[in-house]
Order: sequence, then structure tokens, then C-alpha cells
Amino acid sequence: MTRRRWNAVDAVVVVALMAALVALATVALADRSARPTADEQAHDIAASLHCPVCKDLSAADSPAPLARQMRAQIRERLADGAGPAEIRQEFVASYGTSVLMSPPDHGWGRAVNLAPLALLAGAALVGAGVLRRGLRSPTPEGPNGEALQLDDESRRRLEDALAQLSREEP
Amino acid sequence: MAHLGQAGLVIALVLAGYGAVAAFLGGRTGRPAFVESARRTSFAVLGVVVVVNAAMLVALLGDDFGIRYVAENSSQGTPTFFKVLSLWAADDGSLLLWNLILAGFIGAVAWRFRKSHPPTYPYALGVLFAVQLFYLLLINGPARPFATLAAAPADGRGPSPLLQNHPLMAVHPPFLYLGFIGFTVPFAFGIAALLAGPGSDQWVTLIRRWTLAVWCFLTIGLSLGALWSYSVLGWGGYWAWDPVENVALLPWLVSTAFLHSVMLQQRRGMAALWNLVLVIAAFALMTFGTFLTRGNVLTSIHAFTESGVGPAYLGFLVVVLLGGFGLVAWRMPSLRSPARLDSVLTREAAIVGNNVLLLSATAIILLGTTAPLIVEAVSGERISVGRPYFENALAPVLFLLLLLVGTAPMLPWRATRRSRRLAHLRLPVGVASVVTVAGAFAGARHIEAAAGFGLAALVIVTNGQELLAGVLRARRRHQRGALRRGGRRYGGLLVHVGLGVLAAGIIASSGLGEQSEVTLAEGQSVTFGGHELRYDGLTTTREPQRTVLTTRLSVTDGPGAATELLTPRLNLYPAASEPIGSPSIDRGPVWDLYASVIGLQRNGESATFRLYHNPGVNWVWVGALLMVIGGLTAGWSRRRVERMPHGQPDPRRERVPAGIGAS
Amino acid sequence: MATRRRTQVWAMGAVAVAVVMVTTVLGFGLGHRGALASGQFVQRPAPTFVLPGLDRRAESTVRLAKLRGHVVVVNFWASWCAECRSEQAALNRTWQRFRDSGVVVVGVNFQDAAGDARQYAATSGGSYPVVSDSDSSAALAYGIRGVPETYVVDPKGRLVDRFVGPVTYAQLSRRINDVLSKGDR
Repeated sequence: MTRRRWNAVDAVVVVALMAALVALATVALADRSARPTADEQAHDIAASLHCPVCKDLSAADSPAPLARQMRAQIRERLADGAGPAEIRQEFVASYGTSVLMSPPDHGWGRAVNLAPLALLAGAALVGAGVLRRGLRSPTPEGPNGEALQLDDESRRRLEDALAQLSREEP
Repeated sequence: MAHLGQAGLVIALVLAGYGAVAAFLGGRTGRPAFVESARRTSFAVLGVVVVVNAAMLVALLGDDFGIRYVAENSSQGTPTFFKVLSLWAADDGSLLLWNLILAGFIGAVAWRFRKSHPPTYPYALGVLFAVQLFYLLLINGPARPFATLAAAPADGRGPSPLLQNHPLMAVHPPFLYLGFIGFTVPFAFGIAALLAGPGSDQWVTLIRRWTLAVWCFLTIGLSLGALWSYSVLGWGGYWAWDPVENVALLPWLVSTAFLHSVMLQQRRGMAALWNLVLVIAAFALMTFGTFLTRGNVLTSIHAFTESGVGPAYLGFLVVVLLGGFGLVAWRMPSLRSPARLDSVLTREAAIVGNNVLLLSATAIILLGTTAPLIVEAVSGERISVGRPYFENALAPVLFLLLLLVGTAPMLPWRATRRSRRLAHLRLPVGVASVVTVAGAFAGARHIEAAAGFGLAALVIVTNGQELLAGVLRARRRHQRGALRRGGRRYGGLLVHVGLGVLAAGIIASSGLGEQSEVTLAEGQSVTFGGHELRYDGLTTTREPQRTVLTTRLSVTDGPGAATELLTPRLNLYPAASEPIGSPSIDRGPVWDLYASVIGLQRNGESATFRLYHNPGVNWVWVGALLMVIGGLTAGWSRRRVERMPHGQPDPRRERVPAGIGAS
Repeated sequence: MATRRRTQVWAMGAVAVAVVMVTTVLGFGLGHRGALASGQFVQRPAPTFVLPGLDRRAESTVRLAKLRGHVVVVNFWASWCAECRSEQAALNRTWQRFRDSGVVVVGVNFQDAAGDARQYAATSGGSYPVVSDSDSSAALAYGIRGVPETYVVDPKGRLVDRFVGPVTYAQLSRRINDVLSKGDR
């Protein structure tokens, strides 16, 4: 099988891909350097806290009156100059750590926070192991473990059949 | 009615017990008489359970408040439509529906195999009856829907206000149940294959279509739940990462992984052990989900009333886990099939990747949902795991999955003609790049949004391109049959396209919208989301079961433009201490304008509104719909048996890998 | 084969261990209601507040800081709360019995319409000070998840007890006597 030569369409696609990567980098930089407005900060803090009187909704999402008052209080505290961590801590002092929507970053909470990454990495390792094991045994085996060989005629028929198969089958 | 129902349940219990015994005996001894008897019993059980459900329905419609369930969940003032819905509104009643659907599935299996059946069939039937037995024991034991009250009250309490607010309550639970309970069938055949011994891996072929149908039901059920949450609950979102929502998602993820890895077993004879593990895991997760929902372990909007069923579900879960995985462990040596891969750039490798990602997502969601429980059990510390955690943890998995779905359909089975395949990716990558740039310009604030749109576009164009090419090729050659033959592939491609649309919707609605809370006096306007909204006043309507306060918000885009009317409502139910809000939504192709009223002052002279401008929510529904259509298409395909030149049956028909050298 | 057997034993053992662990955790979950903590109580300084009286008179304002040296019973209530009515008698009795010992009962109105609250207070039979927490700042500081909730503050300004739901006279008097006797030492 000879390699295809590069042509104009390929070039256009590569340029588009480069542009996309540049765009992503720009967005990331803009995001990083942008200072959140007071409203955005208040929303972020409220979104990280449970609404105390509802099930599973955050203080930002909940329509309950107490949640509204929580949001108002957060805005007030921000205007007073308190930082997000301080404001969250105040609510933790009143309601306990379970008012936070994510586990705190120490002790067991930290383990829970790091677990998803560990799970993904673990699964990826297992998958890689499966792939490696599969790659290492390319010779097809018969039921008794003997190696099977194909003659050229069979191999050609096989490749034709496979090509037709993959064209219309999943 | 109570006596009829009670008696019927006992009869069904006895019949199911007999059916289980007969089926297992039939499997052990090989005598067809037992199997036939068990088969007939399944129809009998179905009939009895239908009658029992009808009895409860009659009791509900007839306001028979002597029955405790009717008194607690219905009232004279409840509209007939919602009286019918009360059948599955609460724990005990919904167990009736559960048993009905389970009996229905067993009957369907009995019907499907009435002419001929595979060797694993008796054991499968036995397992199905055993599961039915458990649920009938439950409904005859701790959860008794037909329990009577000593003194029948004059009127019932009525259904929970939240549950009678919207007709979507009619369809969300039944589809969800069809999806959940349906997993019993693949599970039963998997266990039967384990019991029957090695060499019986035809079970995968048998139940592929069943699993696909169940997957479709579950997809519909989950989508309806999200739709209900969005359109009815009024908080502007569709998925709250509620523990009950999460556990419903787990079997869906595992079954999606299963539907892919089934292809490995059917085509290459690999992953036999793994498929069994997956199918048992799907059923176990479903049982675990039932335990969590009904066993009163966590509180949630779905929480059913206090009942003694928790320990029963836990016991059943333990049996399922020990029995299922124990059997797998026992049979493990004889089940391991050699994995053969030609290269990493093959469909087989992509399926391994698919399983890795989907099962990571399953593990993450499972861990997040049970973490508060585990941490409290081990250390006494109380933590909470909510939406930000799940969104952050699953975003990378979603993105990797989209990348995979956007490139894998190009990959061949085994390695051939790689460079030509890569050329097909040019258009999708080009379009995806353009979309990413456009997204960045259009104001995607975060890198995840821009990248996510690009990946979603990649998925849609790759799979759409393949789909279109296949359909056009078939039409050009006037091969009508080709469409049906390739239904499995085209269905799969369509599901992927749907996934791309769904993902775009999820990314758009997770943080690109805006929301605002505003108090308006009558006649006052506010500018929001590019529209002008004016509060026009309040109307009060009295209905038999509730009082409805409707606020009117007129929406204009500018002077002279057409006016839309949004009517968010507050519903006052006598049973509820607080009013239940109903939002009003103006849906558009990209943006939804969503309003809910959360407070009224001075009899409606002023009102407090929550306003949302949500992009992409409708893409979520469209994407889900496409996925379901794709799933149905994939299940509908049928492949003819084609004859090879020298009279052997087409090797494509054979699922077991034959010795290639024999010709 | 020996390895066959070994694989089997290892695999089945792993399954058994995993199932035991799962069962233990879930069994624990059955015994305890998890999710949002309710009635969780932690010893800490009582959050201070300055709240206007329900009657809007200047002299009815209550400053918690000024009540140092007294045992204070802080009761959160609302006129729309059915269960609050059932504990009203207990609160009244506590006030009558202990006011001469320097115990102060303060009723804090939570998320209520002023007119409804005043009407309720007028007919409740209680004569202890009643204040209004209109922006719920006190409720949020104390960690209120619903009404009624009652807190007991010792003379040093520390929270010593919390009752979620209607409180009984027996519960309050026991706790108050406990605090008073500790103070005498």
C-alpha cells in the first residue's frame, strides 16, 4: 500500500486545525486572566453550597426563600470584602461540612476529590494491559492451540470478504 | 377489591414458585415436559398480575378508601387521569406495576421461544421466575398495597402535589421501569449460560435485540425524567445529580458498554467473560439502584415512604452479587478467550477504549453517590457530593468519549488500508475546527465549551458522513435489502449522531446561559436576554384539587415586534405547606426563555420572578430522540443467510469463530 | 489443573470479600439516614445578632451580646408553621418558671409576613421578647433548616444544645438546670 500524497484539501484541514488550537489557547488565556465580576463570584459561591431546605439543589439554583436570602447574604459579604473561602467557611460553621456541594479538600474529602482521576487512570491502565496482551498474540489459534496458517488463495478471499463486510456492516 | 388483590398476589406467588422449580428441573433433567409447564405458568402469572393491577385501578377510580394505599394516594377531588397515575405514585403501588412489567417480560420470553428454544432457555426461565418470586414476596410481605384500614376515611389524602402537577408523570416511571426491569432478561440468559457450562456463548446473539430494546426504553425513561425536571420543577435545569437520578444512569452506561463489547464476541470470539461480567453488573446496578431508591437510605425527591423493604432489597442484592459474580469466578478458567489484536488503530481497540471510558464514568458516578455513605460509615465525617463534583469529574471522560466516537467509526476491523480511512476524517476535522473557532468568537467563555462544541461537531460529521455515504450507496445500487441488512451499522451511526447533538446540548446549557432574579410591580418591565419582559398581573383560578395563581409576563423583542406571553404559575395544594411553582418556557431552536414565579407580594401587586436564558436545552431532547431512533433501527436489522459459492452457509452467519484453515 | 483451581479460588475469594464490604456499608446506610445532616450539633460560640422587635418599637430590639451572663433560649418559629403551635405552651412555661433565675427566652420570627407574625404572637400567650429576622441572617448563622428549632446559649455565650422540631418543657428545663448548676460552681 503506497502512501497517499498530500494535497490541497489536506493543507486546508491542517490549517483549520491549527486555527482551532490557537482559538482554544486564546479562550483559555482570556479565561484565566479575566477577573470574575462580583455577580459571577457570588453565583459561583452559591453554586458550591447546598440550599439548606431543599434536596440536592444548590443555593444558586434553588427558588426557596432561604436560598434567596443566602444569595443576598453572599453578595453582602463580598461587598464587605470577604473572600470566597471565608464566606464558604462561615456557612460551614453554621451548617457543617455537608453544606458544601463538593467534599472539602482535606482528609477523606480529599480522597473523594482525587478518586475520579484515579479511577480513570486505573481503567486506562487496565485497558492498555488488555490491548498489549491482544497485540502480543497475533497468530490465530485453533481449538487445540495449534497455530493456523492461511494460503494465499484463502487470504485473498478473506480480505475481499472482509472489505465487503466492513463496507456495509457495523 | 382488597381481597381480590390480596388473593391474586398469593396465587401469583405460588405460581411463580412452581414455575421456578419446574424450569430448573427442566434444565437439570432435560425433560421437555417440565420446560413446557414452566412456559405455560409464565402466562398464568401474567394473567393473575394483570387482574391484580386492574383491581387496584378499580379501587382507585372507585374511591375505595378502605384500602390504605388508595386513602394515602388519591382523593375524591383528584382528576381521573391522576387517579390512574396514582397506581405508580408511591412505593407499594409502583411495586404492582413493577411486577406487572416483569411478568410481561417473562411472558414475552415464553412467547418468543414457543416454537424452539436454545439449550440455556430452561435455566434462563428459572432465573426469571426466581426474580419474579422475590418481587412477589416483597409485595406479599413488607410492602402490602392492599392493606386495609380499620375505619375507611371519608376522603383520601390525595397524591403528593409534586406528582400531580404535570402529565409527564404518566410516562416517566413506566418507561424507566421497562428499562430497568428489562435487564432481567439478559441477566437471566447470562446466568443460564454460566450454569449450562462452556460452549454456550450463543446467549449473546440471543439477547442482543432484547438488550437493545431495553436500552431504548431506559434512554426514553431517563430523557423523560430530565424533561420533567426541566419543564415542571422550575429550577431551570434538567439534571440535579440527585442520587436516584445517578443510580438510574449506571445501568444505562454499563449496557451501552455491553452493546459495544458484544460486537467483540460476535465477530472475533473475544470478551466472552467480560460480556458476562457486564450483564451481571448491569442487573446488579439496577438492583442496587432500586435498593437506594426505595430502601430509605438517602433522601431525595424520589424518596418513597418509610417501609420495611430496605433489608429485603439488600438481601436480594447480596444474592445477586454472590450468585452472579460467584458463578463467573467459578467458570472463569473455561471462559477466558484469547484476545487478538492486529494493531491499536482498529475497531476492536476502539471498543476496548469505549468500555474503559464508559465504565470509568460508571465508577465515578457510583463512587460519588455512595461516598457520603462510605465516609460516614468509616469516619463519622459528613460530606456531601453534588453537581460541581460530578460535572468536573465527568467532563474529561465525556470529552475523551466524544473524541473516540468521532474517530472510531472510521477504523476498520483488523488493520487494512489505514491511510485511506484517515482521509475520510478530513471533512469532520475541518468542520470541527471551524466550529471551535466560531465558538471561541461567539463568546464561549471557557475552553471546555469551545473544545466541547468542536468535539460534538466532529462526532456529528464523522458519523453523519458515514451514514449518508452508506444510504446513498445503497440507493445508487438499488439495493433495498442493503438498508435493512446494514441496519445495525446505520442505527449505530445514528445513535452516535444523536450523542453528538446531546453532548452539544449539554455543553451549551451547562454554563453558557444567564439567569436573573427580579421583582416587578404590575406594569413594570425588565430587560433580560435581549428581550423586554413586562409583568401584566395575576389571575386566580380555582380547580377541584388546587388553586392556581397565574402571572402574566409579556415578552417583546422591540417596538413593533410580536409579543409572546409567558405564564409562570404558583399552584396551591391543600396538602402542601408551600406553593408549587410551574415554570413557563418559550422554546426556540437555540435559546429557551424560561420564567418561574417564586414570590407574590400584596396579592399580586408585585411578583418575584426567576428568569433564565438557556441555550441548547432543546438539542438535548433532539439528541436523545435521535439516539432512540438509532437504537430501534439497529434492532430492526435482519441479515439474510447468503450462500457461498461452494454451498457452505455464509461465514457471516456463524457467530462462533470457525477454524479458518478448513475449506 | 492446579492453576485452574487456584484461579477459581482466588476469584471466588475476591468476590466474597467485595460483597461483604458492600453489604457492611449499605447495611450501615440502612441504619442511618444520610444525606443532609439534621439535628447535627457542634459546640461553638453562639452567633451573635441584633434583631428588631416584632412590634417595631426601639426598646424591643434584642442584642444577644448584651445578654451575656444569662442563659438564653433562642426559639425560631413562624406563624405558618403548624408544629410551632404545639411547643408554644412549653416555651411559655419555661419563661414563667425560669425568668427569675435570669433565663431569657427569645422568639425569632423566620420568613414570615409581619402582620401574620404579630397576630400569632398576640394570641400565643407568651410574654417573652419576640424579634423579627427579616433577612434570615440569624437563621443562616445558626444553621436553620426549618422551623421550629430551638437553641440554648450558656452565660458565657456558647451554644450548648439544639432541638430540631417542637421542644418539650422537660427537655428545656433539664438543659437549663444543667447549665445553671454548672454556672454556680
